Amino acid sequence: MTLPAADFAVQGESSAPPVEAARRSIAGRSPTRIAFDRLRRDPIAVICFLVVVLFACIAVFAPWIKDMFGVSTDTVLASTRIDLATGLPKIGPPDHGFTMDHPFGVAPRSGTDNLAVWIEGCQTSLYLATVATVLSTIIGVTLGLVAGFVGGVVDAIISFFIDLFLSFPFLLGALAVAPIISERYGTDLEKLRTVSFYSLVGILVVFGWMGVARLVRGEVLSLREREFIKAARVIGVPTGRILIREVLPNLMAPIVVSISLSLPAFVAAEAGLSYLGIGVFGRESWGQTINGATNFWEIYPLFLLEPVLGIAILVVALNLLGDAIRDAFDPKTRR
Amino acid sequence: MSVVRERRGDHNQGKAGHMIRKKALVAGVSAATLALTLAACGGGDDDKGGKGGFEETTQSAGKNPDAQGPAPDPAGFKTGGEVTVLAPDPDDGPTSLDPAGLWSVTDNAIAQDLLFRSLTTWQQNPETGEYTLVPDLATDLGTPNDDFTEWTFTLKDGIKWENGEPVTAEEVKFGMERSFDADTFATGPGAAYSKPYFEGGDKYDGPYAKGAKDFPAISVDGNKLTLKMSTPFSEMDYYGIFPAMGPVPLDAPAADYGLKPLSTGPYKIEKYVPNQELILVPNDQWDPSTDPARHQYVDKYTFEFGGDNAVADKTALSDAGATTISTAMLSNDYTKAIQDGQDDQVLVGPQPCTSFVMPNYDKVKELEVRQALAFAYPYEDVWSAAGYLPGVTRANGVTDPDLGFGLLPPGMAGRKAWNPEIDGETIQYDPEHAKELLAKAGYKPGEYEVSFVYDATSQEGKDSAKQRELGYEKSGFKVKAYPYTAGSLYDVWTDPDNALYKKINLLGTAWCQDWPSPATFVPPILETGQPYNTGNFSEKSVDDEMDRIRTLPVDEQADAWGELENKVMTDYMPVINAGFYQGTFAFGSSIGGFNNDTTVGGAPDYRTIFVK
Repeated sequence: MTLPAADFAVQGESSAPPVEAARRSIAGRSPTRIAFDRLRRDPIAVICFLVVVLFACIAVFAPWIKDMFGVSTDTVLASTRIDLATGLPKIGPPDHGFTMDHPFGVAPRSGTDNLAVWIEGCQTSLYLATVATVLSTIIGVTLGLVAGFVGGVVDAIISFFIDLFLSFPFLLGALAVAPIISERYGTDLEKLRTVSFYSLVGILVVFGWMGVARLVRGEVLSLREREFIKAARVIGVPTGRILIREVLPNLMAPIVVSISLSLPAFVAAEAGLSYLGIGVFGRESWGQTINGATNFWEIYPLFLLEPVLGIAILVVALNLLGDAIRDAFDPKTRR
Repeated sequence: MSVVRERRGDHNQGKAGHMIRKKALVAGVSAATLALTLAACGGGDDDKGGKGGFEETTQSAGKNPDAQGPAPDPAGFKTGGEVTVLAPDPDDGPTSLDPAGLWSVTDNAIAQDLLFRSLTTWQQNPETGEYTLVPDLATDLGTPNDDFTEWTFTLKDGIKWENGEPVTAEEVKFGMERSFDADTFATGPGAAYSKPYFEGGDKYDGPYAKGAKDFPAISVDGNKLTLKMSTPFSEMDYYGIFPAMGPVPLDAPAADYGLKPLSTGPYKIEKYVPNQELILVPNDQWDPSTDPARHQYVDKYTFEFGGDNAVADKTALSDAGATTISTAMLSNDYTKAIQDGQDDQVLVGPQPCTSFVMPNYDKVKELEVRQALAFAYPYEDVWSAAGYLPGVTRANGVTDPDLGFGLLPPGMAGRKAWNPEIDGETIQYDPEHAKELLAKAGYKPGEYEVSFVYDATSQEGKDSAKQRELGYEKSGFKVKAYPYTAGSLYDVWTDPDNALYKKINLLGTAWCQDWPSPATFVPPILETGQPYNTGNFSEKSVDDEMDRIRTLPVDEQADAWGELENKVMTDYMPVINAGFYQGTFAFGSSIGGFNNDTTVGGAPDYRTIFVK
């Protein structure tokens, strides 16, 4: 029986005796290291990673990028850029050619620069998704660890809350909280801007930690019966230390995977909530732009396409990257 | 009459009050007629308002107490066919079709044109598009006594319910009595007109109230109804157009009658799902020879409420929607229709409504500051950002100096366009002039703070607020703009206990007439204590003048109101005109006789529509 040619390449180690240096480097690789090596060889993962880095750079360097293009989200009198008879821009798309002054065109009706809004929307999306991911991961991991390792009543209580939050409708919660916030802080503009942002983060976190917690709890349940944990207990290592030094490192793979998959979920959720009008206040956001642009699809398609493509590319890249990371960490997959 | 509900954006996003409650603004309303400006759209097409340009409506053609049925036919009319009317979001249509509760543009257009007959009604002149007040159930427009405290109406013979029973004067009395029940029919016009004017109306709560007795202010003698007023009411004949001034069967229940009301008009209800769907079919008991205003051309009307705006527009403009009407076009769909050469399927119709910025009279005390605010408002930019087309769906003196900046919308009796020079310049967006006026009041740039609340639930609301903010800032004001997402802006403007109310000094209202008389417009905006006088404008001399005008002979009142309006604007500038309204309709290629019914506030005139 012959092997397919491709398999030779993968199993190159067996086809020829490795040189001594290579053998040593293979011998010393940790599972994480193996995973990263696999990732590096995965072209999709590399491309997606670059895309994500690009978006991250846009978000981080937003002010400078806007200056570079000479655009800003400052309000201008609509009539300076808009043909009042039609509501469409006097400059740039859809009726006029490309202009470097407004590479993405300007918004119909109000004349705000699209590129500046797009960049700030990217910033909002990524910042919000990152903060929400970090917070929900910390909460989820902590509760999952405790529930899985301690067991008993503690496990029962935490599991109950996991189920409770899973059963509560996310959208309903978000819809209920938004007007309460704006009612409470409606008279203080600065506070409202901050509060609306963090309340959105809060909503995403409150309804986003259960997945990680469940995942971690399940893993811990199987880990705690393993010999090295038992050994650590026998020699009297404190529980906290066991959790952090012995259990947690073994959970890196599922946690990394869950982070990489929850980032795009939060980006999409923010856009969805903004589209429903309960997103952030006082900041630009892709979801808000889409909300305002849907009616212009026929006469000014670019206006809608820009934020839609922004979200689509970012979310697809994050998802594919997350998939690649999961595959890379999974010893059972061969690609 | 009424407060207007706007679909989106604009500083005046509001809920509504009354006749214009739903959707009102979206489509249009207007008083009198389109005739005058038809020139703009090229002659010959009498039932179209034409595209582009704001249309100065003409005065209504007045009254014709001798009008007889049948109603004059429009040129080229045909009978047969079925018409679908899409009244898209946020117009959720009638919650109830109870005659006593009807006071909104969409609902009243359907009810008055097709279902319910009342004492009087409007007749459209198919040649000119003008509207004339004519008798409907009554034989004439009523006979008042000298001081308008007693009106007598005689009912026609041969008017029947859809079940063939004759309509009696007792039933008309009962219908009118129901309008006094302001609790059961809170959305109706009774609280504004029945209760304050009829003798004993303030203490009478309708026939369903506990211990209700006969209401002596309305007395029946055979076919004759005599109405006694406590306050002179010279416009009772106009008030007679409301379905609330028509018959209701004596055994009608209070609550659910509105779900299956009996018809007296050319159509009756086949199916009615509140806020969703209404299907009307011809009423064979309606006799055209008794009705000087209505027709029965179409075999079936289907109304669908609360659907998607874009879908409604596209349906009406496509081949599939040849017999479909969209009552509220989106401005971008309008732009596209014009681009695609579908001008003849689009109608821009005036609404007799005005949008106001109202500085709080107690907080913004200096006349110069209020005048400066008028020069600091970037009218066209705000409208554009709010999704209106300046000069088309919103307009005032900025787009056409003849429209002026007064209270009264074009087409109203006694209206004199108010567009004077203030400190050497007529009103327009001019930040430098605003700064000069501020300086005159003793404020340096950046010293005077103005604050307002805006609708933050839509992109248009936010964008237009930004334009307004920019305009004020450039004009030397310090600005605070508060977003509001919890509901209608009227919740804030009309509630002095609201936390935001205490913070802001610029409020607003959008107001529509009930009939083309300034008496339904000037007092609600300028009289002390009126609920929609949100700026709390209060001057004793103005209140006194209003009381005096009410006692003038009828034919002098309109002009007196117009003069008072001009005087108040010049002397006090209590409001800033933020635009008059026009609505846009889309209708299928097979729809004929399409007209904007300005009398009800800007809806399709179902009386004359036919299928080509």
